[in-house]
Amino acid sequence: MAEDLVLDTAIRDWVLIPLTVVMILIGVLRYFVSKLMRSQQNPDAKVVREGQVVIRARNLRAGANFIPAKSFRARRAYFSNEENGLLHVPKGQGQNPQAQMFSDPNMAMDMMKKNLSMIIPQTLTFAWVNFFFSGFVAAKIPFPLTQRFRSMLQNGIDLSTVDVSYVSSRSWYFLNLFGLRGLFSLILGEENAMDDTQRMMQMSGFGMDPTKVQT
Amino acid sequence: MAGHGESEKKSSDAVNDLQTFRAENLQSNMKVIYYSRTFLSIIGGVIAGILGFTGLTGFVLYFLMMAITSVALIAKAKFSIHTYFDSWNRVLLDGFLGGLMSFVLFWTFAYDIVHIF
Repeated sequence: MAEDLVLDTAIRDWVLIPLTVVMILIGVLRYFVSKLMRSQQNPDAKVVREGQVVIRARNLRAGANFIPAKSFRARRAYFSNEENGLLHVPKGQGQNPQAQMFSDPNMAMDMMKKNLSMIIPQTLTFAWVNFFFSGFVAAKIPFPLTQRFRSMLQNGIDLSTVDVSYVSSRSWYFLNLFGLRGLFSLILGEENAMDDTQRMMQMSGFGMDPTKVQT
Repeated sequence: MAGHGESEKKSSDAVNDLQTFRAENLQSNMKVIYYSRTFLSIIGGVIAGILGFTGLTGFVLYFLMMAITSVALIAKAKFSIHTYFDSWNRVLLDGFLGGLMSFVLFWTFAYDIVHIF
């Protein structure tokens, strides 16, 4: 067990700090690129109307106890009577959302764009890190970890005697990838910063996502 | 510390057992919590790194930081949590684990820059 590795200061100046800065800048760049690529679609008038009706119905349900029973019944009939209620969908006409999604090519296109704008910079950065910084011991985690974390933290250096808390440059990249989410949501606003990373988590199969989905 | 955007709910109806929360306002309050927690976890990480905490002390600092955030948020809500949030857990626990990753990252970063090399 090597007690203390002596790391060159040049590693800090030319690996650790540049890597982190580049990760942040790429995150910002990706945000703006995806903002540019996002096509704003005009919402369909029918869809908007339906949504508003649903909201009104929900408000009615929530406030049902605050209005007289008679007016509640009148409103309920307005929403849900059999002939011309606003919420009444004739049998067999309701479409399931999945079919809707397939019939609308725009939606699939949007999703693909989003995914691409995630995958491309990620792949490029990873290739860049691999190419430039492979094999550096770049950092040290200030708390002890067990051996099981070795494959996670020392990705790219094959030394089994190095203490587990030392982090290779490639793993520092991964740490950045997951840890900078909070920073991004601070500097870029909450706009899809969160669900992007959540999707990324699912994609890369990193397993548990500690944050609950913010409702 | 808690920032702005804390908007009110019709508190006059709070006597009723029916919950009347306006979803957008609740969401904006939650966002404020999320932001302050993220911000403080990053700041806390940098502090822990610069001070050179290792091991358990760093995590203790994180818990302390989060506790301070909770107290500050409660104070910001003028100690009437139910005017702004629908449960105590929102103030005390939400975003607790989410900030941990940022905390560890910035802790490591600052610690490495200051102490390792």
